[in-house]
Amino acid sequence: MKASWLVPALFAALFLSVWEGAVKFFAVPEYLLPAPTVILATVDRDLFIQLAVTFSEALMGFAIASALAFVAALVFVRFKTVEQGFFPIAIAIKTTPLVAMAPLLVLWQGTGWWSKITAASLICFFPVLVNSVKGLKAADAEYFELFKSMGAHRSQEFGKLRVPYCLPYLFSALKISSSLAVVGAIVGEFVGATKGLGYLIMLSSAHLETPTLFSAILASAAAGIVLFYMISAVERAVVFWQTPGVE
Amino acid sequence: MSTLAAERETVTAAEKQPSRPLVNVRDVSIRFGKLQVLERMCLSIREGEFVSLLGPSGCGKSTLLKAIGGLIPVSEGTIDLGDAALRLGLMFQKPLLLPWRTTLSNVLLPLELGRKEAIPAKGHERALRMLELVQLKEFADAYPHQLSGGMQQRAALARTLMQDPDVLLLDEPFGALDELTRELLNEELIAIWTSGATRLKTIIMVTHSIPEAVMMSDRVFILAPRPARLVDTIEVSIPHPRQREGHDVTQFIKRARRLVRGVI
Repeated sequence: MKASWLVPALFAALFLSVWEGAVKFFAVPEYLLPAPTVILATVDRDLFIQLAVTFSEALMGFAIASALAFVAALVFVRFKTVEQGFFPIAIAIKTTPLVAMAPLLVLWQGTGWWSKITAASLICFFPVLVNSVKGLKAADAEYFELFKSMGAHRSQEFGKLRVPYCLPYLFSALKISSSLAVVGAIVGEFVGATKGLGYLIMLSSAHLETPTLFSAILASAAAGIVLFYMISAVERAVVFWQTPGVE
Repeated sequence: MSTLAAERETVTAAEKQPSRPLVNVRDVSIRFGKLQVLERMCLSIREGEFVSLLGPSGCGKSTLLKAIGGLIPVSEGTIDLGDAALRLGLMFQKPLLLPWRTTLSNVLLPLELGRKEAIPAKGHERALRMLELVQLKEFADAYPHQLSGGMQQRAALARTLMQDPDVLLLDEPFGALDELTRELLNEELIAIWTSGATRLKTIIMVTHSIPEAVMMSDRVFILAPRPARLVDTIEVSIPHPRQREGHDVTQFIKRARRLVRGVI
């Protein structure tokens, strides 16, 4: 068990030491590449506040988009005409680059957190929708014949077969969109914001405060990782039947 | 099991007294688009019979079974079930258990579907009795992925019996299992059928195994493919339990094989 984290930890330590040593030895200017210890020194309370702002925007957008996308998927599977009508629109939303839409969102919703939540939602919506539609239809045709032969109503077919069957598909989409949500929130902050990691990144790069820029980048990576592992933990608790070796 | 086995010894095909026609298939044709799957199929199944629909792949035997089960509409002709209140239970080649439910909860599924409001108080008791019948009681709380293929199919059988069917429709029920498990489960199915532990009287089984059809059934319907039609019927007049290597069984297998060979 020990070796599973020991080896990566050793390599990470080695990597950081080489980085630190090289920066000191070649006297690399701080605005180009700061040493790890210098970056660590910029980690303060403010960074955590900005992280919390971005994280909550991402989480809100993620939650809203996932709920809407799953409901949309249920409607799509239940009513085929709706799917035929709305799927092109969903694809249009997906193909339009979020960066292109972000200024419009700020124009409509201001520089507060709603424009960021909307940006995060837009980027999360599509993967959840597509995977949920796929999962709701994924059960073998014979499962539906079985339910029919046992006299199941359509609501029972959804509640007792389609929805539980869809859960593994849903969670794999949630894991993808959880990291996208952070991207969406930061893009929103780039365009117009007074707080958040995106704001901090713009500000510190404009002022050539590269150590702060680095710590903000690392913090945004951390936000995505935390969100991803939160979803994974929920998944392990809910979708126990796909995990092999559960006794 | 020992009690079932003992009861089995005493019951013979003759004692079961096949009586009134229960399922009447009259001139049934089924088309999927331009594909003719069944053409003017006629056959009649009596109450209390075990019949097999035997034929090569693609002969429409599963389609016929599903049509009897009301899952596929017929294009022409009629399928008449002698009694409107007749209860049908279907079982497929795959166990089709819900992986998020325990064995017991899977067996309880038929009680939750349809217009029924809540599981009757005696539901659990009955489900456990069904699990006992298929010798799976110790695994009531296990999940499907913890069961072997044979055990999963036993659970599926218990779930079908939970519907308390008069007629069992089996679509190659143990076809995906290894031969040893398959023979064992076939024998247990006969034992449950003859034991009178359930309402179950009539069994219609789809198979492409000649020995299986001969070992199990009172009558074997031999179907030819494309479009499927009835070629011949063999009456297997051997009492249960049948000896797998017995002379009479071997004779019937030879006869059935000759007929099947003639049509493919």
